[in-house]
Order: sequence, then structure tokens, then C-alpha cells
Amino acid sequence: MISRFITAGVIALSLTAIGYAAEPANGTPSAAVAASAPASAAQQAISATAQKPEAVKAAAPVAVNKVTPNRTITIGMFLVIIAITLAVVIWAAKNTTTASDFYAAGGGITGWQNGWAIAGDYMSAASFLGMSGLMSLYGIDGFMYAVGPAFSFIAILLVIAEPCRNSGKFTLGDILSFRTSSKPVRAVAAISTVTVSLFYLIAQMVGAGKLMQVLLNIPYRVSVMGVGFLMVGYVVFGGMKATTWVQIIKAGLLMSGTVMLAVLVMAKVNMNPFTLFHDLVNNPLIQDHVRLTLLKEAIPKEGFDYGQRFLEPGLLLKNPLDQISLGVAWALGAAGLPHILMRFFTVPSAKEARKSIVVALFINSSFFFLINIIGFGAALYLSPQLIQSIDKGGNMATLMLAQKLGGGAGSLGGDMFLAFICAVAFATILAVVSGLVLAASAAIAHDVYVNIVMNGKADQQTQVKVARITSLVVGITGVMMGLMAENENVVAFVALAFAVAASGNFPVIMLTLFWRKFNTAGVISGLVVGTVAALGLVMISPVMTYPQNVANGAKKIIVALEKKQAEGKMLDEKEIITLDKAQVVFKKNDGGTSMFGLKDAIFPLKNPGIVSVPIGLIAAILGALLFRERRAEEMFDELEVRQITGLGVSKASDH
Amino acid sequence: MAEQYDWAAIARNPKYLELKRRKRIFLFGWWIASSIYYFLLAILAAFAPELFKIKVIGVINFGYVFILSEFVMCIIVALYYTHVANKDFDRMTNELIESLHQGGAI
Repeated sequence: MISRFITAGVIALSLTAIGYAAEPANGTPSAAVAASAPASAAQQAISATAQKPEAVKAAAPVAVNKVTPNRTITIGMFLVIIAITLAVVIWAAKNTTTASDFYAAGGGITGWQNGWAIAGDYMSAASFLGMSGLMSLYGIDGFMYAVGPAFSFIAILLVIAEPCRNSGKFTLGDILSFRTSSKPVRAVAAISTVTVSLFYLIAQMVGAGKLMQVLLNIPYRVSVMGVGFLMVGYVVFGGMKATTWVQIIKAGLLMSGTVMLAVLVMAKVNMNPFTLFHDLVNNPLIQDHVRLTLLKEAIPKEGFDYGQRFLEPGLLLKNPLDQISLGVAWALGAAGLPHILMRFFTVPSAKEARKSIVVALFINSSFFFLINIIGFGAALYLSPQLIQSIDKGGNMATLMLAQKLGGGAGSLGGDMFLAFICAVAFATILAVVSGLVLAASAAIAHDVYVNIVMNGKADQQTQVKVARITSLVVGITGVMMGLMAENENVVAFVALAFAVAASGNFPVIMLTLFWRKFNTAGVISGLVVGTVAALGLVMISPVMTYPQNVANGAKKIIVALEKKQAEGKMLDEKEIITLDKAQVVFKKNDGGTSMFGLKDAIFPLKNPGIVSVPIGLIAAILGALLFRERRAEEMFDELEVRQITGLGVSKASDH
Repeated sequence: MAEQYDWAAIARNPKYLELKRRKRIFLFGWWIASSIYYFLLAILAAFAPELFKIKVIGVINFGYVFILSEFVMCIIVALYYTHVANKDFDRMTNELIESLHQGGAI
């Protein structure tokens, strides 16, 4: 039955895809690839485009330049990937009969496999496309972004993975409710998990829609629904097993694509990294880019090495406090993301959990290093000017480089390589969204339905059935929200997911595991206050869109061009269009306020972590101290022995 | 779960207390130390940019080497932890569980 349903779905989807492939490509609007954290790395570059898209467009009407992959080859590759992953789902569906199968792949994932899957969760479209773009435009400031994801593994490895695996079963709620009143804690934990996962999911959906629209001219709605259809299929039928394998396949594809690109870049400099750096610094186009675009110096300073400046910090990251705050979000937030947490329940032992993180860290470190080579390669062989002419934030750099190094636009090699890289980006989004749907539905089905509504009394069949229905509902919700959020600034959603995970989830997980006096009141006040603080600060931060700022940007253009007119100079055709557009943008946005009625940001930082994490932590501690609870303190011994020794857990996973 | 453990008794077991103490010192010690090194990057880049500009090999400067060293630091800490956990923590855990079996606690 399941396989028949899937086959029908594949046929329907293929028909749509082929239909679009047959349709001739025409001009598409330029759009930024959505930021999708863990690689919130791409945030800043994207916020550059996303915050004032209209002002930017008005300033530089360069819709002529775009990357055009060969539709037939690209969609063919998409279909191959879809076919492979669906075959995996059919196989996984046959082996998914219990709740443990559905949420934790029956504990049957090895350390190596889990390592690749975790690495896959980290390698999103934003790190693949966005981060290399940042490096190609801003030099080592872009590379500095990549340190956060790598470091986040240390907290996960040392204080999260093994203790959580030893004391939980499937969800965040399991860990937090171990020694507290089960129902209220599970309810709050479920709300937090669903919030974090949905924010993250929306960002990914919008990213997928925009990417497909830009590359293949597939309408936004169709791509979002297509991605939604596949992700729901993966999760509903294959559960964690399918989600993990889709992630592993994607991580493998992504790594091969990255290695190939990096090798092609290095081949151009005879595999000598010093030549690459030397060429980079001495490239006149990069020097001009640094001087004119980044430092805005019309006249070169005597004896200043603008090429070397590309390798020095401060071109992109200007606010040190924001930097540190982003660092906090990474160091703690990734460890509080429910879909990452869930992966530690899929391995059979603490030893395998450990191994999986080391494997993931190794893969991701290599990945970011290769992305660095690709980013610098793109700067050198494409030039920052060309990259920015297609996308201001540099999101198309990887794709353009693939086309160029494959043999150039129109050549078979160029088309094939570009198509492959596009397909990999597509697979990346699919794999990441599936994990998010699974995490959110686990919280609803396992925490809310089974443990709150049914008091933990539900047979395996019912549990799996409920989990499947919930996944379907969560998936549909994700698609609908993705459709509604088409014109929203997705950077804010990613910032939100991380801020909530770092300020709400992380402190209460740590205190549950390591502090005897922690209890029900502490979990609830920590989660609620941490989440509200993070949400509140993001809502008044600069990542939201402020129409007044957009209007001010347009005003500048209007003033400059009108001044030119007043001086008696004629405006050329381009400038007249620019002026008209700027006036429209100005009228539309002048006097406008953000979603929350603000003219400008009140909170100065893009990442609230440095403020909201302490707030969440203090609220958790105060809550626990104000409402002491004997049972929670008495049960600490049991939790602590379990988390340190793993006693009592090994029996649960072998069946 | 068929087996019942006396958690409070295990929590007082000297072998357990030794394991707990060693784990705690190791895990939090390394977590804090690596965090300091991690935040040092953002702090130095912001407040001591001159340091980052010092050329180390050819045009490659201290900043670039520092960023690379962050990745190396993460990998070394992870490998070292795995080594110690596989060698010491797992052994101590097994010894504890064995002594519990012999003592009839399980």
C-alpha cells in the first residue's frame, strides 16, 4: 500500500517536473538564497539583500545577468536523486513498526552513519552556497563564520550527547521530564521544540522556493509544495530510518561535489596553496573590489595593499559584540536544537554516540575548509564584481564557479557540473527539512499525545499511527507557512530558531543533567522566559525589515539623481528607470513600520544570545529556587547515575 | 524494565564517585578551556586587528592561521576526549557495573 502510494506520488511529481522542463526558460527575478542555519553564516550577506531588496534592485538594475542551468539535465538529476531517496523510504517503511523504529531508527544506526547524518544536518544550502559566497566577497571574514559550527560540536560532545542519550528516549521532553512533573514539562518542551523546528523549517522552505525559482524558473508555490510533498513522504513512511539515510546520501553527494570543485580550483594553481593566496592578493579585480565596494575609497591610498586587506578581518564583521553574540548562539544553540538532539537516540551505545560526533566534526571541518578554497577560487576565477552582478549577497558564487570550471556556460561539462551542484543543493534542503518535521512531530505525538493525553499508555501500533498522522499535519503546516512567508525576511527565522535553542533549551538541559536542585518550576520558567526573551529581542533587532530604512535608502538614490538633473545633466535610460523605481519604493515604504510597529531597531544586535542566554539561565535558576521540589531532588541520584554510567538504557535499545 | 537498581546506593559507591569526579573535571575543564580559545578569535579580531595582519608564510597572515587553528583545536579536543573516554571512562564504568553485580546490587 505504502509503496503504491509513493509510486503514484513519484509519477505525479515527475510529470509536473517534466512539464516544467519542457517549458522554455525566461527571465527570473533575482533573489537571495535563503539562509538556512546551522549555517546561519550566510545571514549577514543575505540580510544585506533581504533587508533592502527593493533599494538594492533600484540601485543596480542588472536583471540581465543570471545563472542558467540546463533545465533538462538539472531536472533529470533531481529525479534521479528523488528516485534513490524514495527507494530508501520504501525499504525503511517496511522496517518501521514500533515507536522506537519511527523516532530512533530502532537504535540501529552506527556511529559512522550517524556521524554523516549529523554532518548533513550542519551542511545546509546556506553553508554550501552562502558561505562560499561570503568568502568570495569578504575574504577571511567569511571564513571566520565557519568556526562557530565546528566549535558547537565540542559542547555537544562533552556535555550533551552521551548524558542525553543515557537519560532520554526520543525527545527533549523525555530528558526534561525525567525527574519533574511529566505533564506540564512535556507540554512546555513540546511547544519549544515545535517553535524552534517550525521557524527553521520555514526558513528552509522559503530558501528552497527561491532557489528553484531563480535557477529553474519553477514557480515559488510549486517548489515549496514539491519539497513539502517529498519531505512528508520521507517522514510519514520511513520515520527516522529514512530521514537518516536521506541525510547520509545527501551528505555524501554534497561532500563529493565540494571535493570536486575544490580540486578543480587547486588544479588551476598546480595544487600549490601558496600560489592560490599569492594570486588572490595580487588580483587587480579583487583589489578594486576591496577598495571601491568594501572600503569605498575612490582614490587609492599611497602604498596601501588592498589585495592583502582581503585576507584581513573587518570587511564584513563590523560589530564585535554582535560577533561574540553570534558565537554564543553557535556554541550553545546548536546543542539545544531538538532535531540534532534526536540523532543521539539512534545509536546503540554511548561509544557510538561519541564516535558519531567525532566523525561529524571531521567531515564538517573538512567541508568548511574546502568551502574556503571554493570561495577564494570564486573570487579569483570569477571576480567579486561578476559574482555581485548576479547576486548581491554572493549566493550564486558556488554555482557560477561550477559552471565555469566545468567548461563554461553552454558546454556539456559546464552544464553537467552546474546541474549536479544544483541537484545537490536541492537534496540538501530536502534532507534538512525532513529531520525538522520528524523532530516537531515527535514532540507532538510522543510528548503531547502519548504521554499527556494517553498517560503513556498506548500500544506500539497506535504510537506509530499517531506519529505518522502528526508528521503529515506538521508537514502540511510547514508548507502553508512557507507559502505565506514568501516575502518575509527568512534571516529572522533562522536567528529565532538559534536564539530560542540557546536561551530556552540549552540552560534547562544542562541544569536538568547537572544540578540537583533543579525542578519542574525551573524547567518551565527557564523555557518560557528564555524563549520569550529570545523572541522579543529578535523582534526588535536589526534582522527584521524596517520600511523606513528602505525608504531612506531609496531617498538617497533619488536625491543623488535629482541633484544630477538639477546640475543640468541628462540622465541616461538606466538612471531614469532607477529614479522611477526608487520613487515607487520610497512612496511605498516612507513612514512605514516593521511587523511590530517599529521605525528602527531598538535592540542593536542581530543575535540576542549574549543577553537572552543569561536571562534564560537566571530565570531557570530562580524558578527552581523559589519552588523547591523534594521529588525532583531525590530523583537526581537516579538521573545522574544513569547519565554518567548509561545503566538502564542499554536494555531499552536492543530488541 | 525487569531489573531494579538501588540508585541511591550506587550514587554512594566509591567507584561511582571517583568516575563522576573524574568525568566532571575532565568534561567541564575542557569545555571551558576550548570555549576560551573559541571566543578569543572573535575578541582578538575585533580588538587586536593588527595582530591578525602579521604575515606568517608568504601572504598568509596570523589571522588565517588562527582560524585554521580553531578547527584543529576542535578536532584535537574531540579526539582526546574520545581517547580518554574509551580508555578510562568506559573501563571505570564497566568495573563499577561488575562490582555492582558481584555485590548483588543488581
